[in-house]
This record gives sequence, C-alpha cells and structure tokens, in this order.
Amino acid sequence: MPMSRRALAAAVVALVLPLSACGSGGDDGGSTDASGKVEGDITFQTWNLRANFKSYFDGLVADFEKKYPGTHVKWIDQPAEGYADKLSADAAAGTLPDVVNVSPDLVAPLAKAGLALDLDKSAGKYRSEYLDGAWAGHQVPGMSGTYAFPWYLNTGPLFYDKALFDKAGLDAAKPPKTYDELFADALQMARKSDGKVATLANVPTIEDFGRYGVTLMNKQGTAFAFNDAKGVELLTRYKELYDAKALDPQALTATPESSGRKFLTGAVAMNPGSALDLDNFKKNAPSLYKNIGITDQITSTGHVNMYVMGVMVNSRTKHTPAAVAFAHFVTDAQNQMSFAKKVAIFPSTAGSLDDPYFTEQDGTDETRVRVAAAKSLKSAVNYTPVLFSEQMKTALRNEVAKALQGKESPKKALDNAVGAADRLLQQD
Amino acid sequence: MATPVRPGRPPQIRIRRQLPLSPWLFAAPGLLVVGAFVLYPFVSTLVNSFTDRRTLLPGHFVGLANFRELLHDDMFWTGLRNSTLYILGVVPALVVLPLLLALLVRKDIPGITFFRSAFYTPVVASIVVVGLIWVWLLDERGLVNSLLESIGIGRIGFLSDQWLLLLSAMAVTVWKGLGYYMIIYLAALANVPRELHEAAAVDGAGPVRRFLSVTVPAVRSTMVLVAALSSVNAFKVFSEVYLMAGPTGGPAGEDTTLVMLVQRTGTGLTGRVGYASALSVVVFVVTVALMLLVLRADRREDA
Repeated sequence: MPMSRRALAAAVVALVLPLSACGSGGDDGGSTDASGKVEGDITFQTWNLRANFKSYFDGLVADFEKKYPGTHVKWIDQPAEGYADKLSADAAAGTLPDVVNVSPDLVAPLAKAGLALDLDKSAGKYRSEYLDGAWAGHQVPGMSGTYAFPWYLNTGPLFYDKALFDKAGLDAAKPPKTYDELFADALQMARKSDGKVATLANVPTIEDFGRYGVTLMNKQGTAFAFNDAKGVELLTRYKELYDAKALDPQALTATPESSGRKFLTGAVAMNPGSALDLDNFKKNAPSLYKNIGITDQITSTGHVNMYVMGVMVNSRTKHTPAAVAFAHFVTDAQNQMSFAKKVAIFPSTAGSLDDPYFTEQDGTDETRVRVAAAKSLKSAVNYTPVLFSEQMKTALRNEVAKALQGKESPKKALDNAVGAADRLLQQD
Repeated sequence: MATPVRPGRPPQIRIRRQLPLSPWLFAAPGLLVVGAFVLYPFVSTLVNSFTDRRTLLPGHFVGLANFRELLHDDMFWTGLRNSTLYILGVVPALVVLPLLLALLVRKDIPGITFFRSAFYTPVVASIVVVGLIWVWLLDERGLVNSLLESIGIGRIGFLSDQWLLLLSAMAVTVWKGLGYYMIIYLAALANVPRELHEAAAVDGAGPVRRFLSVTVPAVRSTMVLVAALSSVNAFKVFSEVYLMAGPTGGPAGEDTTLVMLVQRTGTGLTGRVGYASALSVVVFVVTVALMLLVLRADRREDA
C-alpha cells in the first residue's frame, strides 16, 4: 500500500520536530542574583576525583547540607578522558550540572555561550579570599567578568633518572638548570647511549613556548604571536635534539601517558611530573625510584608553569544562591587546605601557601617536592592561553612535527601554526 | 442483534479495505527508532553542513562555504588519501585471505574447532585491547623490534614512521577481520555442491584448478559482499589508526583518516560542528558511491 508523499512528509516532520527542540537548550531559569536564600537541589560535577577522594567529597557535601538545611547536593564525577566532550554534550542538551569543575580553557567556550555565571557580579565579595592571579585565571580575553572560582593549583618538578645520567657521564648531582644546559646534556646523553636513551619525550607545546620566554599572544589577546624569533629559536633547538635522537623518535605521536611509561622503563631520562608521580614510581618502577632525581622546572622567564582548576556555576541553574554558595564552599580556604592535605595539590586561597605544611621540610621526598612546588607557585603562571582550543593545539602540534621532520623550516611551521590558530580564533 | 437480511441477497460482509492508520501504528515503534537515531541525525548533519555552527553556538547559513573550505584544507586531502589507501591495502587482503583460511578450517580433522575459534578470537576481542597489544608489540622497544634486533635487522620505527604506521594499522584491521569474513565464507562454501568438485576431479583437475574453476565462481557473490562490506569499513576506519598513531593521527597528522578528522574537528567545546558535518557528508557520499560501484561490478559480471 503506497503511502501518499504528503503523509510521509508529515510523519517525518512529526518525528523530527520534537527532537529538534532538544538541541537549543532554552533560556529558562537562571538569575545572576546570588543573594537569596540558599536552598534547593543542585548537582556538582567533578573531573576524575571519585576514585581516590570519595570520602573527602562525601564529607564536603554532608558539611554543606548541614550548614544550609534545605539544600541537597548530588555529586557526580566524570572520567578524565573525554571530559570536554561530556561538557559539550551536556551544554548542548541543556543538562549542564549546576556547579562544574573546569579549567580555564574549558570555561572560555562555556562563558562565550553564556553558560557560565559571571562571578564578579554574583560573588564579587569573595574575591579577596583568593590569590589575585588565581582569581584572574578564569577571565576570558575579549569578555569582562570572571567565570569560575579558583580551586586547586598544581605544578611540578622535573624528574630525572640518575642512573642514566651517570651512565652518560653526566653529573647526576647537577641536573640542568637552564635550557642551554638541558640541550647540551640531552645531546651528550644521546651520543653516549648511541641514540638509545632520549632525554625528552614530548614535542614542545604552547606551554613550553611560554616557559621559554616566547610571547604567545599580542597584548589585546586578538592574535597569536609565538612565531617570533624566540619561538623559532626554541623549535630550531628541538630539531637539533630530534635529529640527534635526544628527543625520543616517537615524540611526534607521544601522549603524556606514553612518555610517562617511557620514563618508567628507562628509555627516557627526564620527565615533567608532579608530586603525585612519586607514588607511581614507588609502586611501578622501584629501581627507578631508587635513582630518582628531582629538579626544578626549567624556565627562562623565572616563572614556572602551573595548572589551574576552577569551579564554575551554570548560569542557567534554578538555584543560583545555593550553587554559588556551594562553589564558594568547595573552594574556600578551609576546604582547599584539607583537600590539599589529602593529595599533592595546592590551594589557590590567599595565605594558604604560607601554612607550615607547605613551608617546612621533614626529610621525605614528598615534602621536598611539595615545599619546592608551593614556593614556586607564588610566582607561577598558567602559560596556556585561555583561548587556545583543542583544535589550535592540534594545529601547533602538527606544524611542530613537520619542522622536526625537516619538511618545513621552523619559521615556516610556526607561521603556519599562528595562521591556523588565528583563523580558528576569529571563527569563535 | 442480527441485521435483517433480505431474502435473495447474499449477506453483506463489511470489510473496510483500507484502514489508513493501523499499519502505521504497527510500524510506529520501529519508525520512531529509525527516525530518532537514523533519519534525524542524518538530516541534521546535512543541514548543519551548510552552516557555521559550533558546539555551543548556533550557526548561520553559509551556503557551500564549508565545502569550498574543504577543497583548500590540506588535512582533508590527507584524510581522503589515507582512507583511500586503506581500502586499497585492506580490501584485497580481506577478500582473499579469509577464503583461503575458510578452505583450511573446513576440513574435518580432529581439533579443527580449536583453530576455527582461534581465528575468530580477534573478532570478539575489543578493538581497544587489540590496538594496545599491537602498540606494545610494535613499540620501539617492543617484542617485534627486540626480535628484529636480535637477528641483526635492527629496530624499525613502526610507530614513528608515517607509512609504516598506516601499514601497521592495516595489518591490524586485516588480522582482526580475518575471522569474521572466514565465517561468511564458511557458510558460502557449505553451499558449493560436492558433486561439482567430484566431477572436476574426475576430469583431472588438480586442487588449484578446482579452486579457481569451482570454488571461486561458486562463492563469487560472497566475495562481492565481502568486498563491499570491507571497503565501506575500511573507508570509515577510525579506531585502529587512532589507537596506533595517537590522537594526532601520526607524525604531523599525516596518518589522519577522514573519520578521525571529523572527530577532531567536530567534538569538544570548541568543535566546528558545521565543518565536521560537511566532512561527514563527503564520507557518506563516497561510501554510497563505493557500494554502488561494487554492486554494479557484480551485476556486470552476472550479465
């Protein structure tokens, strides 16, 4: 029985119409006024924290609910992999949780889409509780406002394998302190090991360019600038390393996990990390742990790199006062301090880094790393520009790879990368 | 109450020949599923491909701009090249090798079920697990390279060279697909009449001749099916290359396939949904063209 074409069209429309409504989110709910009564059910989403810190967050939620009767917090956690995809799916479907763990580069597109609450307006009174640099961490160039409470900070030292240093005739007690020393040591390591032991396992990222002293963006934040002489110099030196196998041959396709594994197996002599890694070495590579050397991140700017985590409030939340209160609660000095004592991260609240926990040595490696990191954090910088998206990272990485392989000159490669990133920036 | 029946006329049986609604009611659940998960995404991809939509920002109609951009996008041509090479590398192997394998394991000898299951195991294994195992095997310091070094060949950068990476990924696809297509061939082989083989043997045909003149013609339509299935799958390859070449798609992205490019462009908070949709439309068109090509080749041979 043939069905009339009109009936078919009607059926298709009937099927499609209700669905197309899901995509647009809707502008219901959400006020910027956080001054009302703190009550209601809210959802809080963290980024890969349940596995290790379940009891901490259960306690945190219970404390909050006790402090504000009439509130109920549902805590959900997402795995590390694909976090941005999960956020974008939720944001597009209008199901973004009320309070969300973010990083600056994640908050930028959400803020641009109007999904992040401007905390300068809604929670400006809390500003003084945080380190200035940390508060500014979630501001987006080209927009006014601050879009997340600063949460924990992290930075880490550079680990090196003393046994490999010894074998290459390098003084394991004197690890490289400057880029010149690093590159010289790396070349010697490659020479002495016949190209079998590389010193570095990752191609330079935007953060490395920043730490080398390259200007990443123009002052207005409207265009990228890392193709300057300094940038070309860094890439040229990396090419030297790559040719000498001082940069691992698989670096072009490496991930942080794969290079971490190479360090564990002694195929690579140095690896950046954080205090979290010490545990991993102890468990998975005891012989490496016995020979582990710890030194400062190498930088020519005097400022080490730090990673910043934030807690964002969904601008469409139905319970703005509760969501803001909870986001502040999670990130206040007391709760950040107790979280920092559970795990090797650092609080972003003013004065917390002066706590004896972060200043006094007790002779263990863990404490040494912690105290050194806390000290360096006071002047640390999050080099990765907030507007540097995943697509831009890929573009840079591909161009860097072409330069290392000798398919393009370092200058040409960086020009191309800047061009691609600028094009993507203008499309935003 | 019986209706009064006039004498002399047959009783009127009233059957409505057409109930316009009821067949649709029966089909509704299926239609809904198809509509929600096939039609709607398809139409929406098509519509999006003419917009500059971003993950979080609604798009505007931009006409053919996305498709024009495609033509100037080096990465698109890299993807198209790799996906095409993938077909050329994988399909012949997947048409021929499983047939030979099927011929081997259909023999009724003791313990043959073990081999049948063994060849089928890679099919059931998760591609992620399989991918990781091969990454470990082919690593610069992995088992394969250690063996090669010990016999004096030296290490080979399977995972750092653009072409070797693509070849390695193809090898994994073939290895993983063998068992699946072997089963299809086994079913087809069971339908080849034994008498044909016997007659050919009586006429003095050796095993090779019998294979070419009896087996191959008998399973030809299955070969076409396998070619169609495997070429479409090869063109849409993602996991193998993604796992072995890494999220960047090999050094400088040179091993990126079209589907990887769709994923990389269109996902995440800053994903370019419009452009990725345009890429998907191209993948769709090429896939349909491939199917038609293979089926047409089959029909021509039938004629």
